Amino acid sequence: MAPQAEGHAPARPLPFRGGGYLPTPRHGAALVAFVAIIAIWELAVRQRWVTPLFLPAPSSVLAALREVAEAGTLWRHVSESLLRIAAGWTVGTLAGLAVGFSMGLFSLARAVGLPIVSALFPIPKIALLPLLILWLGIGEVSKIATIALGVFFPTVIAVYSGIDGVPRSLIRMGQSFNLPWRDIVRKIVLPGALPGILAGFRITASIALILLVSAEMIGAEYGIGAFILAAGNLMLTDQLLAGVVCLSALGLAIGAILSRLERWLLRWR
Amino acid sequence: MIRSLFAALFAAVVVTAAAQAEPLQLAQAAAPTPVSIGVLRLSSSGPIFIADARGYFREEGLAPELKFFTAAQQVPVAVTSGDADFGVTGLTAGFFNLAGRGALRIIASQSREEPGFQLVAYMVTNQAYAGGLTSLRDLPGRRIGMTTVGSTFHYSLGLLARKYSFDLSRVTMVPLQQLPNMAAAFKGGQVDAILAPVTLARQLEAESAGRIIGWVGDETPWQLGALFTSPRMIEQRRPVVERFVRAYLRGAADYNRAFNQRDAAGREVRGDNYADMIAILARVLQQPAERVAEGLPFVDAQGRLNVQDIYDQVTFWQANGQAGRDVDARAIVDLSFVQGHFNVPR
Repeated sequence: MAPQAEGHAPARPLPFRGGGYLPTPRHGAALVAFVAIIAIWELAVRQRWVTPLFLPAPSSVLAALREVAEAGTLWRHVSESLLRIAAGWTVGTLAGLAVGFSMGLFSLARAVGLPIVSALFPIPKIALLPLLILWLGIGEVSKIATIALGVFFPTVIAVYSGIDGVPRSLIRMGQSFNLPWRDIVRKIVLPGALPGILAGFRITASIALILLVSAEMIGAEYGIGAFILAAGNLMLTDQLLAGVVCLSALGLAIGAILSRLERWLLRWR
Repeated sequence: MIRSLFAALFAAVVVTAAAQAEPLQLAQAAAPTPVSIGVLRLSSSGPIFIADARGYFREEGLAPELKFFTAAQQVPVAVTSGDADFGVTGLTAGFFNLAGRGALRIIASQSREEPGFQLVAYMVTNQAYAGGLTSLRDLPGRRIGMTTVGSTFHYSLGLLARKYSFDLSRVTMVPLQQLPNMAAAFKGGQVDAILAPVTLARQLEAESAGRIIGWVGDETPWQLGALFTSPRMIEQRRPVVERFVRAYLRGAADYNRAFNQRDAAGREVRGDNYADMIAILARVLQQPAERVAEGLPFVDAQGRLNVQDIYDQVTFWQANGQAGRDVDARAIVDLSFVQGHFNVPR
């Protein structure tokens, strides 16, 4: 039939091929996946497919968490860690923003800063712990500095490449409208770089959490990182995972806050 | 016809199988049984290194494979996971937590803190010394750096607190995880004292960074380390464990004869095999012989354990919340492989 109709056939209806590639909210999917994973995990331990010594069941992790909470030390662990993360992240981010912006905007700063950042970024912060202790002692300062150092370099790179990625045509347009330099920066460069900078914040927030454990290697009595380290040293695997759950919960909370911030700051999109 | 062909074929198969089985069994008897041992590159593991180098394991029909680890807590984990058949290392709270869940059995002794054997120093900073921290009785109220909570250092300090009857909670223990961190905190005056292994202590002393005010062995002797295996090994391969312990004890005897003899005045008397033994240790530890000679712990020549002391360790960790209440010292120690253990509780 189709070949005969060739030539003067009525226009075939074409399906719409656009669409897709757009994230649509799927509420609950993540929750279902979470619950399923935890249920399988619990079942695997209950059925003795894995020995509880190697992987404690979620229920015993929860019990360990409750034990710490009831002893009243959980809040102290969380609050001390939160303070360190907040201080370290803020210091590292502020310094990173300052350096990143100047590297993005000024050629001289870029020429000097880029090789220095490339040279210092890959240094593992744990390797510097003895030096940090010598310079800053074993109080809060060295712990905050460990986190700040870890946050600083990725922030610099995120800010600098965010500015680098602002479309040149927009800047040229601003220039042809004779906008002063200050306005180009404020109205074109800054908003244009913001998505990249915020993506950087997501990464640095996670890095701050990761470095918390290293930071609390420095003589910390309280803190989630110190709690995880102690549990690992004592081979108390249920407590260890309870600490990890705390870290994950913190990560989720910080992620949610950043999402809010993103939506608010990028509402012009 | 066909049936007889089958019969012949069957007979042929049986005969060849039997013929093959015979030499196979012989070969098994001749081929040494592979066993793996988790060790640290420390002189306290000397008996293992000596038994390996002198061929004592091979004489027992064993082919030992040494697996080197970098931290004491990794060795019991390796034995638990089956990556190593045997392990030798210091006893920590983490060890007892693994052993208490039925994963490990202590079968012989390793090193012991003994008077006259200087292995771990109580070291105080110059400032703290000037400020009155001149004896171990002055430790309460001070900050003491150590590797981790639950470590052998922690237990030594617990024994010290009992000896000088002060409350352990009156000293602030600062866990710094690694020796370099401890050295840094000590040099910077961030802690008043540390428990320092002999090499670090000598180094800090040479730099005039602090003073040694005592040694753990002189103050509080205790059963520091042990040879252990998994309950599975004991149940399923008991003869292998017996052969292993025999070879290990020969290594321990050699070690003790070379390094652990003392005269009436407490001075070191080198054994006739000293030169050979120190050469073996220097090679395995990858250190000059003089450095190795600085810190040679005491190892019982017959691998005997101070059993009561191990019970006490479990009690201490439980009382301090570092070991679970369900850990049963009685179930952790298997006394059947070595004769004549000390202080066996009834």
